[in-house]
Amino acid sequence: MLLGVRGWRAVSDFRSGGSGLPTDSLSGAASVSAHDRAQIMDRGYRSYDGPRTGLFGAMRSIVRYSIRSSLGMGRSARHKILPVIAFVIAVVPAVVIVGLAVLIGIDLPEGGLLTGIYEFTGVVSTALFFYCGIIVPEILVSDRRNGMLPLYFSTPLQRWSYLTSKAIAVALTLAMLTVGPQLLVLIGHTLQGTGPDDPIVWATTLLRIVGAGFAVSAAFAAASLAAASLTDRRAFAAIGVIVLLFGSGIVAGLLVEVADMDAMIYAFDLGGISDELTRRIYDVTSISELVEEDGFIPGARRDELSTLFVTAANAAWVIVGAGIVWLRYRRLALSR
Amino acid sequence: MAIAETQGLTQRFGATAALDGVDVEMQPGVTGLVGANGAGKTTLLNAMLGLRVPTSGSLRVLGLDPIISGPALRAQIGFAPERNVLPDEMRAVDFVRHLAELRGLPRGDARERASDALWLVGLGEERLRELGTMSTGQRQRVKLAQAIASDPRLVLLDEPTDGLDPVQRIEMIEMIGRISSQFSMNVVLSSHVLEEVERVCDHVVALDAGRLVACGPVGEFVGQGEGLAVELVDLVEPVGTVELVEATLGSWGLQVRREGAQLHVRGADFDELCDRTRDAVAAAGARIRRFDAERRSLEDVFAGGAR
Repeated sequence: MLLGVRGWRAVSDFRSGGSGLPTDSLSGAASVSAHDRAQIMDRGYRSYDGPRTGLFGAMRSIVRYSIRSSLGMGRSARHKILPVIAFVIAVVPAVVIVGLAVLIGIDLPEGGLLTGIYEFTGVVSTALFFYCGIIVPEILVSDRRNGMLPLYFSTPLQRWSYLTSKAIAVALTLAMLTVGPQLLVLIGHTLQGTGPDDPIVWATTLLRIVGAGFAVSAAFAAASLAAASLTDRRAFAAIGVIVLLFGSGIVAGLLVEVADMDAMIYAFDLGGISDELTRRIYDVTSISELVEEDGFIPGARRDELSTLFVTAANAAWVIVGAGIVWLRYRRLALSR
Repeated sequence: MAIAETQGLTQRFGATAALDGVDVEMQPGVTGLVGANGAGKTTLLNAMLGLRVPTSGSLRVLGLDPIISGPALRAQIGFAPERNVLPDEMRAVDFVRHLAELRGLPRGDARERASDALWLVGLGEERLRELGTMSTGQRQRVKLAQAIASDPRLVLLDEPTDGLDPVQRIEMIEMIGRISSQFSMNVVLSSHVLEEVERVCDHVVALDAGRLVACGPVGEFVGQGEGLAVELVDLVEPVGTVELVEATLGSWGLQVRREGAQLHVRGADFDELCDRTRDAVAAAGARIRRFDAERRSLEDVFAGGAR
């Protein structure tokens, strides 16, 4: 039996037949007053008849563990470097905007708060690409590589609940980038008195920020998880995600803007279509009007797409990505 | 109630039958699942967890169908896989806690019981170490700790002594026996080392190429054999005493099998066997190093063809 006394472990004393009570370092006499405070803290292994959390608890544990693992929490310092870089890239513009508003009272852009936020989504996208390419694959690939899958599926988890938990973990982590900085700007301007005054407008702004953030997170999460599900090598998964994200944008841009093909080809550009969806949820000015210079404006022809098409294209990325992951895991042998 | 029962359980992978019409009933206590590599032990454990849909036949574990009631069943089972690959950068206590949470323990209870389980398997002082820094023996103990942390009704251990040296093997087997007896856990452990099964198990299920070759209480298969094992000193003078004893016993109609200076004698009731052997040794002027009743082991049973 292992016994401990509050603030002081007495295991060795008990094992050697000692009293288990604090002793005077010089005389070795037991402290009588300490005896009254003695309390058994550690009773050793025993049967358990407490509550059980079931499947929901298991899924919550997977979500928590995956988020912690992807952010390098509970791991050595080198695993924290990349998540911190991604987070800094995403948050710094928001901090600068809020800081300028607070310190020197810079006014909001002409189009209002959401236009101001939309103007730095390009920087957030960079962090998002970086995060999806480098960090997201680790969430899925590592379980296959380090032998956790047989253990996971020996618990109440099933394929769908495991994959749902992983997707939630990725989407929540990505939402830290797609929602967090934007909320920071909203709160900063609200506290400074330069944000929306009307509670309804404020709530609508909040909903638009959260809605757009989660819509973009879902599409990026599905796409990067799909790429990560196809290989057991993290490096290959990272390359796959980066090629998917950057490559789809470049190819779609060339086909539409240079080869003058139909603008609907932009549906294959995940970054572009997510950006367009965000703009339409924010209801800010079109991209061609936002950029004042004359000449070639990348993505300007996205204006030709209907909002329904943009929404459907974003949803298609989610559905196709999720489908690929499901097909891959449906066939995956959980045992030899 | 049986902890697991199968009827005609068959699991095919293409043309290969990993399990071929297995009918077995596993009783409470510690059950040893024995057989050579590829006999179907891991396949049977995976079927018990509901990880594969059987090709045919039926299986019930703790009264539940693993395919229909998989999550409810697995919440009552602790499992330690054969593979020794674990997340290297995770601390032992975090790993055990995470698995305990997955098996349904609330976070606070999981944290407490993870420490308790690691103390129980002798890793209390090492619980904050990363798994990647641990030896094979310690990792096997961590796997055992995660399997029992949630206080399951049934623990499935796939080759729990794999990669361990002889001393560690004995320690691990004794630990499994202690856990079962002290905490009333049913354990099914797979092993290809029959001696381990003899040492700790109450029951044995033996598979060979996917077929059931033996099933029942260990006591039915091991214990005192029918013969006598006599080890003689191979004397320089007089020469040939071992051969002389062998020949004498043979001439009296007893069955003698010789392995070097060791004779295995059978053929009469035990007392008469002892008297005859004593007389033959005395007549040949031989000297006895060891004189013992022959002990039957699981290895003898399986080597001789099990029922």
